[in-house]
Amino acid sequence: MAIKVGIVGIGHTRFGNSSEYDLADVMAYAATDALQDAGFLERRREIDQVIVGNMASGMFCHQSGVASSLISRMDMEPVPAELVENGPASGASAIKIGYMAVASGMADIVLVVGGEIMRKVSGWEATDLVATILHSEAEYDMGLTLPAFGGMFTRLYMEKYGLTERDLALLAVKNHRNGAKNMYAHIQAPCTIEAIADGPEAAVVNTYVAEPLRMYSTCPVSDGAAALLLVNMDSPKARDFKKKPIRIAGVASATDTHCVHNRKDPLRLEAVRLAAEKAYKMADLGPKDISFAELHDAFSILELAISEEVGFFERGKSFLAVRKGETDIDGRLPINTSGGLKSKGHPVGATGVSQAVELVRQLRGEAEEGRQVRNPKYGMSVNFGGFGNNVVALICAKD
Amino acid sequence: MIDFSMYGAKVPTIKAYKCLTCGTVYYPAPMVCGKCSTRRDPVTGKGWETFDLEGSCELLTWTRVWNLPEGYTKKYLLFGIVQFENGLRASGQLEVEDPRIGMKLNATVKESDERPGNPVNVFVFRE
Repeated sequence: MAIKVGIVGIGHTRFGNSSEYDLADVMAYAATDALQDAGFLERRREIDQVIVGNMASGMFCHQSGVASSLISRMDMEPVPAELVENGPASGASAIKIGYMAVASGMADIVLVVGGEIMRKVSGWEATDLVATILHSEAEYDMGLTLPAFGGMFTRLYMEKYGLTERDLALLAVKNHRNGAKNMYAHIQAPCTIEAIADGPEAAVVNTYVAEPLRMYSTCPVSDGAAALLLVNMDSPKARDFKKKPIRIAGVASATDTHCVHNRKDPLRLEAVRLAAEKAYKMADLGPKDISFAELHDAFSILELAISEEVGFFERGKSFLAVRKGETDIDGRLPINTSGGLKSKGHPVGATGVSQAVELVRQLRGEAEEGRQVRNPKYGMSVNFGGFGNNVVALICAKD
Repeated sequence: MIDFSMYGAKVPTIKAYKCLTCGTVYYPAPMVCGKCSTRRDPVTGKGWETFDLEGSCELLTWTRVWNLPEGYTKKYLLFGIVQFENGLRASGQLEVEDPRIGMKLNATVKESDERPGNPVNVFVFRE
């Protein structure tokens, strides 16, 4: 019988500007929070393995060996520690590797930490450094960036399905409403549809970034870290933690072509679909079982496209559900209850772990008043690497 | 009349690749053919043929980017994805006043030094 893996501790820094601090310190803060949450701080040297998710500390912070650095900041030697890198999905990949370590029987307790400090460099440099994840010759050298692909994808979707810029603004309003109530969010401020779409000043307030994507359809550049403590739920040690585990019911990933232009249908996100299918199969669940979801809205269009690929809505219909409020906190299927990447922020290496922290907070019933989903049973997250070329899907369950 | 300045001048090109075993064409080049698994030696190129990717193409989608990365001095740049007549697709810069999905374009190649590092060859799609 397969080993059951549960999450018994969560930690999270407030996302935003932490550029005056050291990456290892920021990650250690989130990790310490997770250990305290689990009631395991004093026993931290009993942890079998530490897995760190980080995309680009070498470029953003001129710093390498962050997993080893984290261990020393937490006085945890000789616990083994390694780094996992999968671009903006590094966090969820770290969770997947941590899950595999426990499920294989090699480890009973694993600490997963995701973190990134991006604001030590300018916004222009950050855009350039994140773009290095694209194909070096056929995309990066051309001057292309992630927002450029977001804009081109959005234009195609609009052309095919009739999505409008106002629909994208509705997503921003929803996600800012949620993020305003999330103590960990980078931008804790609501916005109105008048201010960013309908009003006379909207075009000035909400300027174009990569047409037809505007600023309020694009995530901020953020710093921050998040952490989880994973445990073998069948191990005697599972009884040593303060809180009841939230079970990882499914975790899976898939890849797609590195060059976006080489996808047969440029509007399909095959890696999202395949990762979700595998996670559903592992969990013995389907899209209808999911109570709420955290979807990688680095650009608002991705919340829509991902929600269709994972089977929540018919193709080209998700924005109609948003218009009807179906993805609001009190809707049929709340999406991005944390505020999503748009409002909560997107420190690339931290995001996947941060999404999982939100799943746990919601499933425990610990989200702030006004953004707690009513009686959720299953939460799903999708963390998107590159422009969808390496994607991780995670399903967590409250048993 | 002879123009000596032309001697030694390099015309920027971008290469597409053809697997000689099965005839499948690629851009950019893989190290193994996706159809017949023939390996490509990046030094000798043995078993593979290269050809310039340029000329007539159709615009599949486009964007105007206002927050260009470090190194770019222009206010904005347009980018697009095109499909060539041989079915290959490419991404690159777009120099068109009023882009429309489905419009016919001509793909050319220029040298660019805007990205950090050595100059590189980039696609420019024009009417």
